[in-house]
Amino acid sequence: MSDRFNITVDGKPVAAKPGETVLRACQREGIHIPTLCDDTRLDPMGACRACLVEVDGQRRLQPACAWKAAPNQNVKTHASSPRVQKHQDLLVSLYMADHKLDESGLPIETANSNQLRSWAQETRPVSLEAVEAPRAARAGDKNPYIQYNPELCILCARCTRYCDEIEAVNAITLTNRGSETTIGTAGMKGLLETTCELCGGCIDTCPTGALVEKKAIEILPHQLERKVRTTCNYCGVGCQMDLNVAKVNGQEKVVRVTSPPPGETVNDGNLCVKGRFAYDFIHHKDRITEPMIRKADGNLHAVSWPEALKFAAEGMNRVKQRHGPGALGFISSARCTGEENFLMGKVSRAAFKTGNVHSCAAT
Amino acid sequence: MKSFGAGVMSNSIPEIRDLDFMFVIGSNTTEAHPIIAMEMKVARQRGARLVVADPRKIWLTEYADTHMQLKPGSDVWLINAMMKAIADEGLVDKDFIAKHTEGWPELKANLQKFNLQEAEKMTGVPAAAIKAVALEYARTRKAAIYYTLGITEHAHGTDNIFSLANLVMMTGHLGVPFGGLNSLRGQNNVQGATDAGATPLYYTGFQPADDPANRAKFEKAWNTDLPAGVGLNLNAIMKGVEEGHVKALYVMGEDILISEPNTNHLEHGVKELEFLIHQDIFMNETTKYAHVVFPGANFAEKDGVFTNTDRRVQRVRKAVNPPGNARPDWEILADFARAAGYAMPHYKNAGEVYAEIASLAPRYAGISHERLDRTPMGIQWPCTSTEHEGTVYMHKDGPVKGKGTFIVTNYRPPVELPDSEYPFNLATGRVLYHYNAGTQTRRDTGTMDKVGECFIEVHEEDAARLGVKDGDMVKIVSRRGGIKAKVWQSGRVQKGNVWMPLHFVEAAINKLTVDVGDPLAGTAEYKVCAVNLIPIKPGKPAQAEAELQAVRHPQH
Ligand code: SF4
Ligand code: SF4
Ligand code: FES
Repeated sequence: MSDRFNITVDGKPVAAKPGETVLRACQREGIHIPTLCDDTRLDPMGACRACLVEVDGQRRLQPACAWKAAPNQNVKTHASSPRVQKHQDLLVSLYMADHKLDESGLPIETANSNQLRSWAQETRPVSLEAVEAPRAARAGDKNPYIQYNPELCILCARCTRYCDEIEAVNAITLTNRGSETTIGTAGMKGLLETTCELCGGCIDTCPTGALVEKKAIEILPHQLERKVRTTCNYCGVGCQMDLNVAKVNGQEKVVRVTSPPPGETVNDGNLCVKGRFAYDFIHHKDRITEPMIRKADGNLHAVSWPEALKFAAEGMNRVKQRHGPGALGFISSARCTGEENFLMGKVSRAAFKTGNVHSCAAT
Repeated sequence: MKSFGAGVMSNSIPEIRDLDFMFVIGSNTTEAHPIIAMEMKVARQRGARLVVADPRKIWLTEYADTHMQLKPGSDVWLINAMMKAIADEGLVDKDFIAKHTEGWPELKANLQKFNLQEAEKMTGVPAAAIKAVALEYARTRKAAIYYTLGITEHAHGTDNIFSLANLVMMTGHLGVPFGGLNSLRGQNNVQGATDAGATPLYYTGFQPADDPANRAKFEKAWNTDLPAGVGLNLNAIMKGVEEGHVKALYVMGEDILISEPNTNHLEHGVKELEFLIHQDIFMNETTKYAHVVFPGANFAEKDGVFTNTDRRVQRVRKAVNPPGNARPDWEILADFARAAGYAMPHYKNAGEVYAEIASLAPRYAGISHERLDRTPMGIQWPCTSTEHEGTVYMHKDGPVKGKGTFIVTNYRPPVELPDSEYPFNLATGRVLYHYNAGTQTRRDTGTMDKVGECFIEVHEEDAARLGVKDGDMVKIVSRRGGIKAKVWQSGRVQKGNVWMPLHFVEAAINKLTVDVGDPLAGTAEYKVCAVNLIPIKPGKPAQAEAELQAVRHPQH
């Protein structure tokens, strides 16, 4: 586009668009600037100060996530500015003083990833006296999915802004003041008694793992075998999601569903309660695991695949011979894949010579 | 679709957040398509206007500028009255009509019947509101219409859609970004199932089955002779089962005894089938009568594609193995066809099946698993070659079928209206926390915490007259059967109307509903049916249950 212009970052030219922030321009170029409170889906808030950079002509360091790029602007990140490096080292130290640390002295890892932990590994934090912040959790919140660990919260307000700006239900909000500030609900009620729709977007956006999914809480991100990008199997929106696979008792299982990064997919990283949390059916104990045929005793019996296929093919062919192809019907499912629906059409038309084929609930 | 081709979302989901005006009719979007509702809410926060037309105070109405709470089944009246108001105000798009449509004079003449005062009486929506919404829609460029089941699963569903198509065409909101007529398809791959050719009307890619040239093309590709003409649609197959002339079924991934309307008759028919193959991941009502059960795989255990509501083809990828001897459904189908004597190719993977689809259907010709793997946003059909980028919005160069046709629609009352014996209008639908027959979500503890039992929404005055309060059990009877549920005065339904979700097996709601069916689309009248409510007195549950059994299984 013609209205693009250049800014200079760490001595190199970087293209920017009018109205764009320094952070977005840098992200497009692959220049790393640490962030905690930034989420492309939310209005910039400038709360966490992780992204501060030097801007020529500005006495103070400025947040890259909120600072608008302008033609010929000269910007320095931690890569070239000792002042920014110093700021970051101190800031990480301050966050860590008010954060739960593990035995290695790093911000702890929960079932949700902790960006503060990786940031601490990139910087040189110093040990400061721990802050006593009496931040309250919501005791007795019976919601089945979302857990809040106040000792990991950095009050970046991503979760509350998401709840307000994107999901638009305003169920959670920053409450109390000063060192008691916490993430609360009206009257500190459990989420089930609020307007919360349990979309779990707050978990997805939380940068520190203060918000985590209650199920499979003991499985940490580094214990995953892989994440598999797929399409949600519930409604017609077709949200993209990542199935998190881990070994449970030696068997690979889907233990969690997480969002793809915002901006990459049709759902922009958003999921609803069904897509994000209703995955227990995948490994449910009631799954049918063996082919079965009904025998003379009137009951279904597990048999081998060749036997079941033979029995089924003979049964259908028998009815076709006796009553003609018009007496057969093939019902496929909107739950199955395109390929499977195609094959059902082919089985019906090519193998049994009837057009009596339809997917159920064709709406 | 007869109006301007393709009954799909003409436009795209990512356009929603930049719209200026949204008209949502008969779509409980927050609960049925949560992420689309989320986009609508984002647009709304940006300053877009939102109008919701629905008989119930659905969640989305809380975000709406205007809620048109129309009487159930009066959609045709409402939409025609809107069109008349637009025509009277001289806000029609003459250029678009002249260039891209036919039949406008006839439609315009017919609109004379739909004046605002009469419309207010018929729909219950104030005349001033109908006019204001109509004019705002006509005057706003970035204005789109969304509809779903509410309007299609109805004996007059096609009339409603034709009416909306007329409204879109007369104002020229077609073939442009940020506009169009957008059908929100219910299930994940309902679009893809039809696309792929699991329909009696079409071969893969909407190629009419009754066109001999298409038949010849597929006979050549599949190396066998194929049946001429169209087959029976779902409704007709089910009728055939009830009446006994359909004698064998292969059912994949569905519980026809829960999801089909008027299941009392159907259950009888299914019992009498000479042969029934059922392929699924869980046992259900249909399995009880199956002669063969094939254990299939769920979406996390197999490869393939789903096509979402904005025509977006996206990958389904295998993450884990199916349990025990269960197998991906596409493998089972291919093996079954071979066992039955047809030389189905030995596909090595689902990608090879897709390649066959792409080779047979021009509108997917440019799509392959490999290409989808490189495209995280998916590809929207039509995509006719490997260079084609896919189609974000349709009808760019005029309606795909050539000229858009204005189809005159007239109001017809619902098949079954309330009377003294069955004084309530029952409508059915979805709730956010469950999915269709609930075989998946009901196995999830979390969603069960939120909505654990079947309920019926009742208006306060009706509840008072019946002497029931929230949580009381009532028996709900129609001409076809009876079920029970707990009363909930939700404040959402109008007087004389009741509403139930369709997820609960115990209260299999389709035992109540009418299976008349839209003559064109073959969809059943899920929406409107007359019922009576009978309070079940506490302390006499056994007797109530006995009465209910009598209604469920009438002695003929
Ligand atoms: S819970 Fe997470 S997202 Fe919310 S304010 Fe705390 S750190 Fe930020
Ligand atoms: S996550 Fe929710 S909105 Fe998205 S496809 Fe799944 S069910 Fe639909
Ligand atoms: S990311 Fe810029 S201030 Fe937090």
